[in-house]
Amino acid sequence: MDKNTRRKFMKTLGASIGAAGIIGSSSLLSSCNKVETVAGDKITLLTSSGELVEVDKAMLKPADMPSLSENQKRGREGLPGKSWVMVIDLAKCRNARECMKACQNHHQLRPEQHHINVLQMQDTEDTAPYYMPKPCKHCDNPPCTKVCPVNATFKRDDGIVLIDNERCIGCRFCVAACPYSARVFHWFEPRDAEKYEGVAYNIECNVPQKKGTISKCLFSADRLRDDKLPTCVSACPNGVYWFGDRNEDAVTNGTTKETVSFSKLVKDNAAYTLMAELGTKPRVYYLPPKDRTSPFQGNIEEHHS
Amino acid sequence: MIKKLTLLIVVILFLSAQQGISQEWLVPADKQSIENPSDYNLENVKKGKDLYMTNCKSCHGDAGKNNSLALVPLPPDIASETMQANSEGSLFYKLSNGKGLMPAFETTLPEADRWLLVNYIMNYSPDNTPVWVDLPPVKARLKATVNTVNRLVEIFAEAENKTGNYSNLTETPVNVCVERAFGNLPIGQVLTDNEGNAEFSIPENIIGDEEGFVTVVVSLGEDFEAKKVTVEKLKIGIPKETPKLIKKGVIWSTNENIPMWMLLSYLGAVGGAWLAIIYVVFQIVKIRRLSKE
Amino acid sequence: MEMNKIESPEESRKLLDKIVFDLTRSIVKKDELTRFWFFILIVFAGVGLWGWAIQIDQGLGVTGMRDYVSWGMYIANFVFFVAFSLVGFLISSAMHLLNIHWVKPISRVAEQVAIAGVALAGIIIVMDMGRPDRLLNVFLHGRFASPIVWDLTVVTTYLTISVLLFYIPLIPDLALLRDRLGDEVPKWKMKIYTILSLGWKGNAKQYKTVYHAMRVLMILIVPVGLSIHTVTSWLFAATLRAGWDTTIFGPYFVAGAFVAGVAAVIILMYIYRIRHGLQEYFEDIHFDKMAKLLVFVSLVYLYFNVNEFLVPGYKMKTAEGIHLSNIFSGGYSLMFWSVQISGLILPTILLLFKFFRKPLSLVIISVVVLATAWLKRFIIVIPTMEHPFLPIQNVPENFHHYAPTSIEIMITLFSFCAAILIISVLAKFFPVITIWEYAEEKGIDKKYLSEQPKN
Repeated sequence: MDKNTRRKFMKTLGASIGAAGIIGSSSLLSSCNKVETVAGDKITLLTSSGELVEVDKAMLKPADMPSLSENQKRGREGLPGKSWVMVIDLAKCRNARECMKACQNHHQLRPEQHHINVLQMQDTEDTAPYYMPKPCKHCDNPPCTKVCPVNATFKRDDGIVLIDNERCIGCRFCVAACPYSARVFHWFEPRDAEKYEGVAYNIECNVPQKKGTISKCLFSADRLRDDKLPTCVSACPNGVYWFGDRNEDAVTNGTTKETVSFSKLVKDNAAYTLMAELGTKPRVYYLPPKDRTSPFQGNIEEHHS
Repeated sequence: MIKKLTLLIVVILFLSAQQGISQEWLVPADKQSIENPSDYNLENVKKGKDLYMTNCKSCHGDAGKNNSLALVPLPPDIASETMQANSEGSLFYKLSNGKGLMPAFETTLPEADRWLLVNYIMNYSPDNTPVWVDLPPVKARLKATVNTVNRLVEIFAEAENKTGNYSNLTETPVNVCVERAFGNLPIGQVLTDNEGNAEFSIPENIIGDEEGFVTVVVSLGEDFEAKKVTVEKLKIGIPKETPKLIKKGVIWSTNENIPMWMLLSYLGAVGGAWLAIIYVVFQIVKIRRLSKE
Repeated sequence: MEMNKIESPEESRKLLDKIVFDLTRSIVKKDELTRFWFFILIVFAGVGLWGWAIQIDQGLGVTGMRDYVSWGMYIANFVFFVAFSLVGFLISSAMHLLNIHWVKPISRVAEQVAIAGVALAGIIIVMDMGRPDRLLNVFLHGRFASPIVWDLTVVTTYLTISVLLFYIPLIPDLALLRDRLGDEVPKWKMKIYTILSLGWKGNAKQYKTVYHAMRVLMILIVPVGLSIHTVTSWLFAATLRAGWDTTIFGPYFVAGAFVAGVAAVIILMYIYRIRHGLQEYFEDIHFDKMAKLLVFVSLVYLYFNVNEFLVPGYKMKTAEGIHLSNIFSGGYSLMFWSVQISGLILPTILLLFKFFRKPLSLVIISVVVLATAWLKRFIIVIPTMEHPFLPIQNVPENFHHYAPTSIEIMITLFSFCAAILIISVLAKFFPVITIWEYAEEKGIDKKYLSEQPKN
C-alpha cells in the first residue's frame, strides 16, 4: 500500500475510532478479537488510544467526521442542556493508576504528562495520607480562560473547559493562572507525533497534540458526545469515579455502572471541592477518604516541600 | 533435544507466570488454623453472600463464572482451586489484611461479617456440601405501562414454572428506574401481588428532559432472566433546568461577553493614547510645513 | 548650570561651536574600538539568535522550563527590560514637568534606555512563546479581558511614545548636524539627517510646535508609563499563586523599575563621560543629583519591599508561608538576601555619604544595583512557580526545580546585546545630549543655532 492511501485511511479511521472512543485498557474490554479470523487485506491503523491495530480492509467504512472548522465550532458550543460533574470517592482510590494510563493513551500524552494525576496527599502531620486523583476541575469561574489572550482555552455551556490547540500561542499564562496545576505544555514533539501526522484535529479530545501548545483534561468531551463516560471514569477498577449531568441530578459509577442521585451522593458523604476558598467553583467533587479499605503504600515525603 | 527445549520453554513460562503473580501470599501458621466462630449454615452463607455482593463482587466476579476483573494479579474466582486451597483461617487473614490491590477489610467490616464472608466462600469448597445453590436465572416476562394521569407504573410479571409454562410471578420485587445520561437511576422498588401485578406510584420530583419527558425502565432482579421494559418519553417529570453558564458580562468568557466597563476602559484608554499620538504625529507634519514658510 | 545670559554674540557663537564640537565628536570620530564594539555586539546577538533558531526547531523543551516552572528566565528578562525602560518616563517626563533643570542633559540618555528596554521587552516575550509563528493570533483573536493583550497594547504604545519623545527634541539637533557636519560624516548619514530634520529652519513657530508636542508627549507618557509596569505586574498578580497574589504588585513593580532605570542611566552617563570626554557636560553635580535620586527611589522601593514581605511573613498563610520560607531561609535565601542587602539597603546607606556620590564609586554601586535588579526579577518569577498549591508528583526530577539551560542563556545574551546595540546605535548616530536645549540652558540665544557656520 502506498504511503498516501495509508495516511488517508489513518486519517478517517483515526478520527472514527476516536469518535467511537475505544479506550486503551483492553483488559477491560476483551471482546474484539474477531479481526484475526477474517481473511483478506489487512491494514495497520492507529486508534485514538495510541495503539496500532491491524484491521481487515473490508471492515472499514468511511467515518462521518465533521470538517475541521465544524468540529471546532461544535466543540466550542458543547452538548446542549448538559452540565457535567464528576465525583471522586477518595476512600476507594488505591492508586491503581488505570485512569492515568488510559488517559495518556486517549490523549496522546507522554509518560510525564498527566491530564489526570493521582497524588499522594496528607493534609496535616497527624492525619492519614491518601491518594487523590486530580483531573482538571472545569471550574465555573475558570482562572485559566480568564487570562488567555487569544481565546484558545474557553468554557462551554455544558461546563467543560476546552483548548483549541490550533489557536494556542503557547504563552503559558493559563498554566500560571491554574491553582490546581492541571495544565501540561508540549515542550517537545508530542508522543508518537509521526503516527498522528495528517489525522484531522479533534478539539474535543485535543488530538493530535501539537508542539508548543497547551493540553489538559477535557472530561473526554469526544466520548461524552457519543454517550460514553470519560476514559478515566471507565478505566477505573476501583469504583472511584462518578460522572454525570448535574441538570438531571444523576451520576454513574464508571466501574459498577451504578447510577445514583448526584445531590444525595454529595450531601450524604460530605463532599467537598478542592481549595474552595479560591472561588474557582470546581465541577469536580471529592468524597472524603473515610473508611478506606486499602492501606496507603506511598511515600509522603514529597508532599508540599 | 526438542524435549529439552520444550522443557526449557515450560520452565520459562512457569517462572514468568510466577513473576506476574509476584510472591506467594504467606499466612502465618497460627493464623491459618484459626477456626470460624460462625456456623456453616444457610442463614450465615446467605448473609455472607449479601456482603460479598456489595464488597467483593466488583473485582472477584460471580462465583464459578470466572468473570473477575482483569487486574494483575488476577483476583481469583471464589470457587476456583486457588481460592479453595486456603484454610478458613487463611481466608479470614487475607481478606482482613489485604495485599496490593486487595483491600484490607478489617478497617471497614466487623470481624463477624468477615467470618460470614468466609462462610460464603466455603459454600464452594469441594469438601462441603453447598447449602446455598446458585440457581440458574428463571426465565420471566415483564409488562409495564405507565398511566400518566394517575402517575402509576402498572406492572405485570410472569415466570416460567417447572412445567415450562408461564405463570404469574408473585411477591417478587420489581425495580423501577429512570434513564439518565450514562445509566438507569433507581427510583423505587415494588412487590408483585398474587396476580403478578404491581403498581408503582411515580414520585412528583422526577427530573425529565428540557420538556419534562422521562424514560422509565422496569426490570426484575438478578434471579430472573427477563428483558427490561423501557417506556420511552413520558411527560411525567419536571422539566430539567438548564441554567446558562455563559452570560453577558463574565470576565472568563469571550469578547462577546466581556463586561462592558472593561471593554470601554480598555478601548477608552487605548483610543485616548493613540489619538494623542496621532496628534503628535500631526505636529511633526506641522513642523515640516513650517519649514517652508 | 545657571542661566547666565551671555551678552556678546561672538561669545555665544564660540560657546555654541564648542558645544557642538564636543557633542558631535562621538558621531564624527571613526575608531577601531567603536567598530570592535559593534562587531562584538552583533556577533553575540547573532549567537543568541542562533539559540532561538534551535529553540524554534526543537521546542521550548530545550529550556529548563517544565510544566510546573513554566515561566523562567525569559519572563524574568521581560520584567527586567520593562523595568529598565521606565526611567524614560521618570526623567524625561515626570522630572521635566516638575521643572527640574539639572535633569535636562540626561533626558536623551533616559530615552535611549527607554527605547532599548521596551523594544527588547517586546522581542523577548515573543521568544518565550511556544508558537511564535502564531503571534498574529493575538491581533486576530485578541481577548480584551486578558492582561497579555493589555500588556502587548501598552508595550507598543510606550515604544511609540518613547520613539517620538526621542525624535521630537532631536529635530533641531538634526538640523544642526545637517548644517554643521558637512563632509565629516558619510553621505548616507547626512541624507538621514537631512530627511529626519524635516527642513528645520528654527523659526519661532517651529520651536513652539516642538515645545507643544513634547509637552503633550510628556503628559501622555505619565499614564502610559505607569500602565506598562503595572500591567506587567498584573501578569503575576492576576493569578492565585502564593507570592504573586498581592495587591501592591503594581506600585511595587513601578518603584523597583525606577531603581533599575536610574542605575542604568548613571552607568550610561559614566560611559559617555569617559568615552567621549564629556566631563563638562555630565558633571560631577549630575552624578551627585542622580545618586540622590537613586537614594530616593530606593527608599520608596524599600518601603514597598517591607510591605510585600513583612505583611505576609507575619501571617505565614499555608502556601504563602512555604513560598516565603523558601526565599527567606530556603534554596533562594542566598540570592534573596544578597539582592535585598547589596542591591537595596547597602546602596541606600552608602549614597547618603557624599564620598560615594562621586562618579566612579556611584557607577560601581549602580552596576551592583542593576545586576541585583535582574536577580530580583528572577526571584519574583521562579520561586513562586516551584511551589504550586498541590504537590509536584509523578514527573521527572527536573520538573521540580528550575535551572536555565545554555539555550536560555544564549537567548538572554541576545536580548542584552540587542538592547546595548540599540543604545550604541542611537549614541553613534545622534548626540547623547540635546544640543539646542543645553545651549539654551547655557544662555545662548536660539537665533545662533540656526545660523549657518562660516566655514
